[in-house]
Amino acid sequence: SADAEQIDFLRDRHVRFFQRTLQVLPERYASLETTRLTIIFFALSGLDVLDALDMIDRNMMIEWIYSLQVLPTEDQSNLSRCGFRGSSHIGIPYTTKGPGVLHPYDSGHVAMTYTGLCSLLILGDDLSRVNKQACLAGLRALQLEDGSFYAVPEGSENDIRFIYCAASICYMLDDWSGMDIQKAIDYIRGSLSYDNGFGQGAGRESHGGWTYCAIASLCLMGRLEEALSQRELDRIRRWCIMRQQSGFHGRPNKPVDTCYSFWVGATLELLDVFQYTNFDRNRSFILSTQDRLVGGFAKWPDSHPDPLHAYLGLCGLSLIGEPSLRKVHPALNITQRAFQHLQQLQQTWRDSSGSCLRQH
Amino acid sequence: MAQAIKLTNDLTMSGVEETLNETVEVKEDNEFDGEVEDHPVDDYMADPTRYVFYRDRKDWADLEPVPQDDGPSPVVKIAYSEKFSDVYDYFRALLKNDERSERAFALTADAIELNAANYTVWHYRRVLLQALAKDLREEMRYITAIIEEQPKNYQVWHHRRMVVEWLNDPSEELEFIADILSQDAKNYHAWQHRQWVIQEYKLWESELEFVENLLEEDVRNNSAWNQRHFVISHTTGFSDAGVLDREIQYCLNQIRKAPHNESAWNYLKGMLQDRGLSTQPGLLEKVLELKETHCSPYLLAFLFDCYEDSLESSSQKENIDEEEQKISLKKALEICELLAQDKDTIRKEYWLFLGRSLKAKYGGGDGGTDALSEDPEASVPTSEPQELN
Repeated sequence: SADAEQIDFLRDRHVRFFQRTLQVLPERYASLETTRLTIIFFALSGLDVLDALDMIDRNMMIEWIYSLQVLPTEDQSNLSRCGFRGSSHIGIPYTTKGPGVLHPYDSGHVAMTYTGLCSLLILGDDLSRVNKQACLAGLRALQLEDGSFYAVPEGSENDIRFIYCAASICYMLDDWSGMDIQKAIDYIRGSLSYDNGFGQGAGRESHGGWTYCAIASLCLMGRLEEALSQRELDRIRRWCIMRQQSGFHGRPNKPVDTCYSFWVGATLELLDVFQYTNFDRNRSFILSTQDRLVGGFAKWPDSHPDPLHAYLGLCGLSLIGEPSLRKVHPALNITQRAFQHLQQLQQTWRDSSGSCLRQH
Repeated sequence: MAQAIKLTNDLTMSGVEETLNETVEVKEDNEFDGEVEDHPVDDYMADPTRYVFYRDRKDWADLEPVPQDDGPSPVVKIAYSEKFSDVYDYFRALLKNDERSERAFALTADAIELNAANYTVWHYRRVLLQALAKDLREEMRYITAIIEEQPKNYQVWHHRRMVVEWLNDPSEELEFIADILSQDAKNYHAWQHRQWVIQEYKLWESELEFVENLLEEDVRNNSAWNQRHFVISHTTGFSDAGVLDREIQYCLNQIRKAPHNESAWNYLKGMLQDRGLSTQPGLLEKVLELKETHCSPYLLAFLFDCYEDSLESSSQKENIDEEEQKISLKKALEICELLAQDKDTIRKEYWLFLGRSLKAKYGGGDGGTDALSEDPEASVPTSEPQELN
């Protein structure tokens, strides 16, 4: 029937959408310059979810990502600024090797370090060229007294998004010295609203994206049930599950938007109640935002697709078990395949540090 | 005014309504303010508004432009025009030398015009504002204009906050934010900035009135309800019985006007959930009345929560009233059925799950009439996994 045709999933269009994204974007995308690494993440992880990474030149991508690492200078004076940049916009000459170049304004950005590490994992890299101690030093420099994080050492807004980035970085590097967990938990708890969703910080309106950051962070830290009581968790479940209208919206009385099928859906999955949502209505909505011509997904039907909504739309479909899509790790927001690669890596790190200890 | 895609710097978990999907228009070339070159007499007729690249400006000749270097195989490369590259090649040159000058300050405005999401440009501009002791009042006018054009950009609000802090003068803020909210009453950045200003400078006095006006305009504005809670919890608090009564009445009145409003019900429940939902004198009765004429999924969920609360508190008493418990349980389960089968069918599985959990917890030796799980673990699934088509 015509209806069934309208809601079929156009896999190949989405593959081409992400492939084009990885190439060249027109100038009207200028505002994405400092966040290009996050765009790469959406495209690579999107292709991973589609099981279409084989068409990628992995080594080329890996080199380019490593060129974005802010490495320590000879005298290590910039350790608190290390991590990954979003792009080459500062003008550092291209290099994938250290030592770092001294530049008055060059520093990492916490969301870029997070998406950089994810992207390397997705590409099968072993992170051996990541200066982990420098990344962690850069991370420590970003945390405030109240437990939240800045994005950059020069200062920026500070809120729960960057706690999520920090927790993901520590989780991937298997090293929690990058943050004060208790302070982060205090900030997260402080962000719990009277209506049982999480805001970007204390007193602020609850929102699906920040609720994801809160719950996913606690899960990555392994502190979900320590930080929140059963009663609180049940209330949070209620807030989240009330977000479903057809697809999901991010705040009460706001329109539904494709990306919340992931932000809220993944939160519900982490809280063990995603199974109680309505998969059919969710799927119908996500597919109504599919761009049948250029591929990708938009936030709303009859709108322009973009890499973020294209990626999160796929993740939303993956959560409900769309055939041909890889499963996504709901807290880390990479495929289970990439996650298994991480686990194997972490095992080799532990084995080798264990054998070092045995030798001494 | 042509606008670039509105994108925050932090895509992965940014305020996602405020992301790339706004209207996209290509910038018009004639928006750039040009500099007239110092031409000799024969160029007297040169158009003073003709744009001149930085590389062709005599007073920039001392500086070597720094191109962006993406290496041999760039990924997600943005194809910049000559004009764009020219401005940013000189921006990179200034940055490298950490130049502190008027010409650098002027260039940051051009760079911002091209990409207001570049946080390095904003940071550098702040460094210059201080190094050159620039007029911060003028900067306030500048940032006001930019935010009016691009109200969903993180960097511009952060910049405004910094300038307000330096001036230690919040006097324009409430009016400015009100103006932004008049264009989009749910702009998350605007509300965040408003909360910061009010809390930092103790400007609580007129805020409840402001909130009430917004709720008059749109009783479903969840941001305004949140602000209401913010103001009251930081001023009188909710522990005062008079305040609590007033707020309960306010909620019920708004619900009578617009029954299908999750925000009002969330506010009501939020106030009371730790104060004994089921023990507010007369409230349950009022809600049961409203159920007849102003029903909604939110009302029914509230009733369910009341019954659950009464089950919980009665089960903690010395002498448990078993009859009362049975009645509360029965009513709660009826609500679950009503929601699952009729009033909130999209959440059918969830309401059935809650019913099972409640029955498992408080059902006691009743002997279930259907094959429900007796497992007291609230998260044990017993529904069939959903299949896609």
